[in-house]
Amino acid sequence: MSLGELVLSLADNKQLLGLRYAEWATRAPSLEADIAAAGMGLDDLGHCRVLYGCLEPLGDDPRPGLARDSDPAAYWSLPYFDQPFASWSHFVAANAVLDTAFTALIQACVEGSAEVLQTRLRKMLMEERYHFLHGRSWLRSGIDRAPLDEAWRQAVAWFGPPGGELEELHRSGVLSMGPAELLARVSDRLGASPPKVAVDWKAWDSKRRREGAGGGIDERTFNMLRGLEEKRFMPAGA
Amino acid sequence: MTHVYNRVQGEAKEYEVFARKLRVEPLRQIGTVVAPDADLAAAYARATYDEERWIEMAIVARDQVMTLWAPGEESAD
Repeated sequence: MSLGELVLSLADNKQLLGLRYAEWATRAPSLEADIAAAGMGLDDLGHCRVLYGCLEPLGDDPRPGLARDSDPAAYWSLPYFDQPFASWSHFVAANAVLDTAFTALIQACVEGSAEVLQTRLRKMLMEERYHFLHGRSWLRSGIDRAPLDEAWRQAVAWFGPPGGELEELHRSGVLSMGPAELLARVSDRLGASPPKVAVDWKAWDSKRRREGAGGGIDERTFNMLRGLEEKRFMPAGA
Repeated sequence: MTHVYNRVQGEAKEYEVFARKLRVEPLRQIGTVVAPDADLAAAYARATYDEERWIEMAIVARDQVMTLWAPGEESAD
């Protein structure tokens, strides 16, 4: 795994998280939460654009070698985002745990040695502060256990195995934190410990940073990413 | 068990939102948000009122505001 591959994984996850947030813009438990869902969705879609824009200056853009027009698995997002969030608990678990995990890695990039990431990602940390406050507050109000445990599990899997390539990027100074430090940071910020998680690292996909092979984003979302969903609303013959 | 969410009624408080666009301007009240705690109120205020280019934004719980007098009441002097 190269730095470009890690940034692509972060960008794809941010894009899917933004889309999933936005799907709740009219379904959250209060009008304020609706607006926050829409706002956080916009933020994360903006962040993913900035992250995609970092790949070329890094000199390491994996996308040309991927079949992103035909294969949903070419998007390197977590299984948590393969389907729309099934409940508000799913939303909050993603907001609190996964969004905070992504922010921890952004911080590790800002504090690391890659100049393009140091400069371009800094503003994200300010915007993510409000995502964190939103997620932590709702988390403290109590949510269903299953999506929360699943979000923790996928955060652990996304950070990768001990001694893996993300650890190498940490040792070489490209990132200021390795997997253990990243997980500790998420835990400290949320004031909550992850459940005992035993990721099967032998079945772990090092590119998509998720357990197991196969799977991918749902067809409707994949069509939307490819610009096909909008065509349904075009006049006949257009 | 599925949680029932009830974050606006009952425990929720109203927060006044203040902001300004220029250093030479005073903060002015631009709206309110309703939230059960200050963290969520901050997130809601930022999401709701972020369209303009504010250089500063602050929130105050309405129940922390000391009203000296109000419309229709006599002033203290």
